[in-house]
Amino acid sequence: MSDVIEPSAPASRGLAFLELGERLRQRGQFAAAATVALAGLGHYPALADAYDLLARIRADQGDDGAATNAWHAALECEATHVGARKGLAFVAFRARDFIAAERQLELAAMNAPHDPSVAAALDRVRSVQPAAMPDALPHFTDPASGMLLYDMQGMRLAGGADDAGEGTGDALAAEGAGLSREAARAARLLGLGTVRHLVIEAPDARVAMLPVSADAALLLQRGAGMPLGRLLALATRGAQAAADWLERIG
Amino acid sequence: MNPAVWQDALREVTGVTGVIGALIISADDGLVVAETAMEGLATADVAALAAALVTRAVRCNAAMQVAIPSSLHLVATAGALLAVAGPSPLWMVAVAGPDAELGRLRLLLRDFAGVLR
Repeated sequence: MSDVIEPSAPASRGLAFLELGERLRQRGQFAAAATVALAGLGHYPALADAYDLLARIRADQGDDGAATNAWHAALECEATHVGARKGLAFVAFRARDFIAAERQLELAAMNAPHDPSVAAALDRVRSVQPAAMPDALPHFTDPASGMLLYDMQGMRLAGGADDAGEGTGDALAAEGAGLSREAARAARLLGLGTVRHLVIEAPDARVAMLPVSADAALLLQRGAGMPLGRLLALATRGAQAAADWLERIG
Repeated sequence: MNPAVWQDALREVTGVTGVIGALIISADDGLVVAETAMEGLATADVAALAAALVTRAVRCNAAMQVAIPSSLHLVATAGALLAVAGPSPLWMVAVAGPDAELGRLRLLLRDFAGVLR
């Protein structure tokens, strides 16, 4: 695999098949390693590390599709699995989809803020992006884009908080509508006019909410390391794209 | 709790260009704990509305599975409301006009939120 953002082997959790499979993978005995990983998954079908091992084997075999599926399965077992995020970033990076790679690493950094390998990979991905890329925007309808479009009834229109699944996006849409209404109410009652944006800062994330129309709003979630100005620039572009999309489908 | 320090902090915040009021609120009940504001600013309303926003933001962050908010910036066409968390349940809140130096205000609030003890 490339050494640019190498998916890392997890610290062993004491399961012999994980150690054996990893050793076989490192020796290049991919078929044997895959057999071990699949056998392990037969016994531990909800073990994220086992899917992670299988994904790394598939990635080494050059089967990025199978690797991606296995890393998504790992995230379904354990939504905060850093190795799976790094793996998905690796696949995206190999496909030269630097925005998606950065996004996956930002999600990894949210779960492992002090992991130097994640920080280094994030720096690396950002450094190799062409000059124009920092303003590039993943499509807001992609559930993994970190952008969520919702209506004021709290229904999800498109996108998602991350790729954790539809349920997360639906729950966030419901809460986002409440947040949008509360922001509009506060602005109106305090004589501040019409809401332009609301930014929420947290130790591990930054979120921007922008109204898209009278009936819809966009939430953009990024890691805490993203400068606020850049977050708002991205969110503004996302809101414009969302407004165009709503007009097309409306 | 040191009300004199709080008042000094609030006065310094209201010294930022465009700021029309600064408050320390309890986000649990939406009440004003301390305030320095220009006449005409309904500080009780600010406290209640800011607390409601904080509550919504906390729920949003929970839905996103990220940490609880440390600050909020509501920017509108005719002004802005900024709120920064201090020791729970206190938040420092500032209301500013459209010409305010929001970047400086954000940093100042962040510095002073730390003295709310």
